[in-house]
Amino acid sequence: MQIGYAISSSAHAVLIGFVLFGGVFRSEPEPFEITEVSVISSADFDALTSAPQAETEVALPPALEPIDDPDVTETPDVSPAQDTPPQASAPDQEDVPETPTLQPDAEVQDDAPPSITPPEDVVAALPEVSDRPKPKPVDHVAPEAVETPTPEAKPDVVQQDSVTPDDVTNETPEVEQEETAPEEAASEIVTEAEEPASSVMTSSVRPPSRRPSPPKEVAETKPAPQEDKPDAPAKDDVNDALQQALGGASEDIPVGPPLSAGEKDGLRVAVQNCWNVGSLSTDALRTTVIVAVSMAKDAKPVGSSVRMLSYEGGSAASAKQAFEAARRAIMRCGAKGFDLPVEKYGQWKEIEMTFNPERMRIR
Amino acid sequence: MILRVLMYVMALMLSLPAMAQQGPLRIELTEGVIEPLPFATPDFIPETPQSAEIGQQLSRVIAANLAGTGLFREIPAAAYISQVTDFAAPVQYADWKAVNAQALVTGSVRVQGEQVTVKFRLYDVFSGAEMGQGLQLAGTVSGWRRIAHKVSDAVYARITGEGGYFDSRVVYVSESGAKDQRRRRLAIMDYDGANVQYLTDSASIVLAPRFSPTGDRVLYTSYETGFPRIYLLDVGSVQRRVLEEQDGTMSFAPRFSPDGQTVVYSISEGSNTDIYAMSLGNGQSRRLTNTPAIETAPSFSPDGSQIVFESDRSGSQQLYIMPIGGGEPRRISFDKGRYGTPVWSPRGDLVAFTKQTNGRFHIGVMRTDGSEERLLTASFLDESPTWAPNGRVIMFNRETQGASGQSSLYSVDISGRNLRPVRTPEGASDASWGPLQN
Repeated sequence: MQIGYAISSSAHAVLIGFVLFGGVFRSEPEPFEITEVSVISSADFDALTSAPQAETEVALPPALEPIDDPDVTETPDVSPAQDTPPQASAPDQEDVPETPTLQPDAEVQDDAPPSITPPEDVVAALPEVSDRPKPKPVDHVAPEAVETPTPEAKPDVVQQDSVTPDDVTNETPEVEQEETAPEEAASEIVTEAEEPASSVMTSSVRPPSRRPSPPKEVAETKPAPQEDKPDAPAKDDVNDALQQALGGASEDIPVGPPLSAGEKDGLRVAVQNCWNVGSLSTDALRTTVIVAVSMAKDAKPVGSSVRMLSYEGGSAASAKQAFEAARRAIMRCGAKGFDLPVEKYGQWKEIEMTFNPERMRIR
Repeated sequence: MILRVLMYVMALMLSLPAMAQQGPLRIELTEGVIEPLPFATPDFIPETPQSAEIGQQLSRVIAANLAGTGLFREIPAAAYISQVTDFAAPVQYADWKAVNAQALVTGSVRVQGEQVTVKFRLYDVFSGAEMGQGLQLAGTVSGWRRIAHKVSDAVYARITGEGGYFDSRVVYVSESGAKDQRRRRLAIMDYDGANVQYLTDSASIVLAPRFSPTGDRVLYTSYETGFPRIYLLDVGSVQRRVLEEQDGTMSFAPRFSPDGQTVVYSISEGSNTDIYAMSLGNGQSRRLTNTPAIETAPSFSPDGSQIVFESDRSGSQQLYIMPIGGGEPRRISFDKGRYGTPVWSPRGDLVAFTKQTNGRFHIGVMRTDGSEERLLTASFLDESPTWAPNGRVIMFNRETQGASGQSSLYSVDISGRNLRPVRTPEGASDASWGPLQN
């Protein structure tokens, strides 16, 4: 006990002494810069301050001309919604003959009446900002905003991809849906009246694609400090444990952290969008099947690996139908690869999906 | 030593999250989509020059059958990327995937004289595998539509897991003329309205024909003698005989038992109507109900042990179920409105009925304990439901309003979707869906 006190007190004393006299917390003075200052007279100062004002006043008038030039007739054609404002700013007497030709643009203004007023302020402010005619940023923003929704709004990824070869195929899916939908719809059916015209998911809310670069190898992060030889076996064991914990770099299969809830939901939504139970029997709709599938690194399901592990709530025949519907869902929506993070491949290399149609039964 | 222990602890802590993820990734799906399954049916390949026309007709009828269920959606031939020219050639799955065909039906047809031989295969395109084995059917040239129906039944059964109903017939009352001078005669047709044949003339009023379980006989009610009488008609020979004849009574609403040996029906005497059962073997009949109320429209359960019928014994027209051997009926409908014409589902789980409430007529279904009532249709006048052989579809007749109103047949899925008319040459009512043909 006393030995312990002695060791502790001596160690503390050494530590305190080291702190006080060892210069640990002593900081060296930081270097600083010295700038020279000269004194000027008030006359020189007035001369300096008055000169720029004269230059800006001269620059303003020529800036008005390019504003009139940005052809009002061209910009509305590109972006109907926000190009109408320049038209409003242009009603100069000289441009009167041109405005009647812009009648279609007047219709566009009806769509976005509030946007007419602010551009006048913008036009007035432009010459003060810069002399150069670069009023296009608004024009560029508008068309992009209109165009981008269209690709995102396309409902079915599989259909988009399948339609590539011919123009004819582009037409057929649309025609088909329009033909079949009215046949199904019936305004006189109560049960249909309670539901929307089509219960089909028309859009798939998929998380943003995430295709990160290949993960860093765990082996690179291994520290290689030189240690005493007696510790070498222990270090190997620890490294092995670390490698196993961080993904088994020896198999070259990145594991990464577990999938986030969003990533799992993305996979679930993707498969559900293709899980069509519309053609299943009422018995099959009472059957829950658990399906296992092996995934390739490109996030595509391996077709031969799709198998039914178990089923519940129905007969073997109904389970077979339910499994086939589940297999179609996996293979169809996985044809182009699911949206799964590559760096977590080890986490989703094997997937078990439980298809539970309880909420979709015919009651 | 301490350093080694610390490193072990650190490695263990790092490995804990990964150990928690051991095994496959597991997800549960509870909400899919309900939409028709896209399928493709290229024209069946003719093996002989004279087979080409039938090959086209076969594929058209098959496509119409499947699409008519509302469970499938045909991909038009114009969208096909590749053509099937050889029945034995491997399927180009990629081409069919490209047009989103999830099922593919291919076939060939060979006509030799009056004989037709049809072969077909069904493929699951996205799984890249055949569903079941290929089948070969043979028949006569004049009966090619039946072959198409049989192929459709096989395809339907393989995909949905339940039996089809395409190779079946419907007996109904064909109606013509103005509403106050309507002429009625019995007619029989394919389930889709094709091949209509008339079984009786329109000299007298005929009502409520009912197919036998084997489809070779029909019970119906006729006013030929001035009073309603029940007749038993042989479909093949069109021979008939009176089934029940008691002076001063009216007999109507007959229906076969599942074994076809017993007929239940109603006899109205004075202001009282009760239900009776008659053995077709010995002609003996016995009374099943005996109350002052009007009790009619009996229908057997599939196992033949019970009947469901309508009765106003409670003061309003409701549905009841009673054992065929006798016993106290139990009421199964309790909602407002009047319930009538109950028909037990071939599956045994549901009862279809006509309901009148708030001035509207509905076709609905409920479970046999009266729960989960669902109204499938609503119109000025919907009545007389009849089940398809697979218990998935109901056919009924709908009459339009007004003096010029016409009655016609409709079918609807038990989910309430896919309401569609059944084409008939004239007006139609009182349909009875027969069994699948052999």
